[in-house]
Amino acid sequence: MVDERSKGTEEADLSSPPLSPSPSPLPSLLSAKALSKNFGGIRVVDRASLDVRQGSITGLIGPNGAGKTTLFNLLSNFIRPNDGEVIFAGEPIQHLQPHQIAQRGLVRTFQVARVLSKLSVMENMLLAAQNQTGENFWNVWLRPGQSVREERHHRERASELLESVGLAHMAQAYAGALSGGQRKLLEMARALMVRPKLILLDEPAAGVNPTLINQICDHIIRWNQEGMTFLVIEHNMDVIMSLCDRVWVLAEGRNLASGTPAEVQHDPKVLEAYLGQ
Amino acid sequence: MQGYIVFLVIFTAIYAVFGLGLNLQWGYTGLINFGHVAFMVLGAYTTVLLSLRGVPLIVATMVGAGVAALLGLLIGFATLRLRTDYLAIVTIGVSELLRLIALNEQWLTRGTFGIQRFPLPLANFIPTMSVRILMMAVLTLIVGMGYWRWWKWLRRQVKDIPSEALLKSAPTALGYVASLGILVFGIGAIAKHLKSSNAIPDWGLGLFLVAAFAIVIVSYHILTKRVSTKLSAWSSGLLLVCHFLLAALGLWIFGVSASAIYDYDQNPAKNGLMFVSVVTLALIFWGLERLVESPWGRILKAIREDEEVAKALGKNVFWYKLQSLMLGGAIAGIAGALYAWQLTTVFPKNFEPLVTFNAWTIVVLGGAGNNTGTLLGAAIFWAYEAITRFILEDIIPLNESQLNAFRIMVIGLLLMGLMVWRPQGILGKKEELTLGR
Repeated sequence: MVDERSKGTEEADLSSPPLSPSPSPLPSLLSAKALSKNFGGIRVVDRASLDVRQGSITGLIGPNGAGKTTLFNLLSNFIRPNDGEVIFAGEPIQHLQPHQIAQRGLVRTFQVARVLSKLSVMENMLLAAQNQTGENFWNVWLRPGQSVREERHHRERASELLESVGLAHMAQAYAGALSGGQRKLLEMARALMVRPKLILLDEPAAGVNPTLINQICDHIIRWNQEGMTFLVIEHNMDVIMSLCDRVWVLAEGRNLASGTPAEVQHDPKVLEAYLGQ
Repeated sequence: MQGYIVFLVIFTAIYAVFGLGLNLQWGYTGLINFGHVAFMVLGAYTTVLLSLRGVPLIVATMVGAGVAALLGLLIGFATLRLRTDYLAIVTIGVSELLRLIALNEQWLTRGTFGIQRFPLPLANFIPTMSVRILMMAVLTLIVGMGYWRWWKWLRRQVKDIPSEALLKSAPTALGYVASLGILVFGIGAIAKHLKSSNAIPDWGLGLFLVAAFAIVIVSYHILTKRVSTKLSAWSSGLLLVCHFLLAALGLWIFGVSASAIYDYDQNPAKNGLMFVSVVTLALIFWGLERLVESPWGRILKAIREDEEVAKALGKNVFWYKLQSLMLGGAIAGIAGALYAWQLTTVFPKNFEPLVTFNAWTIVVLGGAGNNTGTLLGAAIFWAYEAITRFILEDIIPLNESQLNAFRIMVIGLLLMGLMVWRPQGILGKKEELTLGR
């Protein structure tokens, strides 16, 4: 399924769009080209490239400090890149504000799940719905009926999503009362509530017990089968192996390898980066 | 008495409006505004100066609110992209800046001379009987709706408690509150007698007061502990009794205010202003409650909790913070107009930073992020003012300036006590404090 390529430290290779000769019929949904970011004098992300195909679950792995989370921040523009280009659904997005990127359907989650703890679980979900009439100050006064109707509709959908991740019984509780694993589930359900095209998951299995990891994986696979595309950062190789169609490896801010999980796992360069010699 | 109650109602309403603006900015959106009085200065001066030039009062007030909102826009553009601490610094700076401009630009504001004789709302209004009845009906409607909300809230508080247990604990609670009241009143009466007769030296009187109150506090503390272990519904009974007593006090104040409207001609300026400020407060409260319950308000709360999350979910955080700052500013501007009408003279000295911190006291006291709490905070603040101003000087052996310092000191002590025992404020939710991020 994936072409063999000898990319990695070679720079010339990286500037060309990856995967162009791919036999896959699926178009690319998100592609980053030669993204770079310096913090002070340190180059945290160095001409990293990435491609996520429509309908796939793509993995992003790398040793600690490889710049994976920074790359996520660059993709969603929470941090502005020094250089490079991000194309999402056929349009460049690196000049957009983070909220505009989310509005276009690229939604991220956070490494440590961030829920709005003093709002209820349901309010967390409702917040995520896009284009709500009642979000406009004047519409609160001018179109109350429409706002209420939409709210009812969003509430139904939120209930369904909460039901599917097993949080329905917590809907009226404060989100801050949820356990770590439940927060991860809420964050994912909330991301789906946006009705995005692509969800960036930052370590969905980190700090979660093995049973819940399996549940989370099942949810991701089910949502993927329903048509959602995912880009997943994960350290747990079992999760990567069971979820991903394709994996990108990052080390010291650079692309190291990419391919199917099996290919990447046996790539000597990857082993070296992870284990040292 | 009637005149003083009217005065208290006006000030409570003005500070409640002012506090509601701050509560929107800080309580709901998490914006730390230490210069809330800046919006009030603009609202007050704009309204007064325009009305002196013949602009109708309602238009002048709206323009004043608009100018205050513009200030919010300016401050917001300058600082909202920075961290919140900078907003606190900039706002306190801006408020002092505006006060100093008002002090020095004498061609506009007449500086320390102040502006007098500007038009007041409904001051030359001579209502017929039917109009006065209509005004009283409006007041009754507002108070009635308030009581209805209050009653519904109280019902929810005690709905899980069996009524027999409540019936059992309520008389005990009533006795408890009444005996405490009589004791405090008795101590006050004795102290008043001692002070007026000069029977004992000042230090003796001070010692007597401190010792008497210490004994009362300690013994009632012990009593509370013993009773609460014996009576199951003790705290609910106490809650009910306190609320019924407060409700009765509220009804009495309402009665006095309504009679003031009936005797409108006795002091048309004040009675009219009372009507205007209560109606304004009711409208703003209703509007804000509606807003914070809407999806719009939900975004503000989300920003208060974690603005990165709001951004990640596609919300334009900057724009919503700006809206909150502007709307809170406009509300403070309206409060400024009411304040100017109440003072009938505006001096720059009326707008010192203390006014901002009074608003903070009110919001913190009632519970941040709770509009009803802000109303309650304003009522407590002015009740405290009234009680201490008239009663303390009779019983405490201090001269006037010492007494003023003492009153502020007690506010500080009360706030510290509140932060220790009820950090969420009177109506705040305890659970919200213990939730982790």
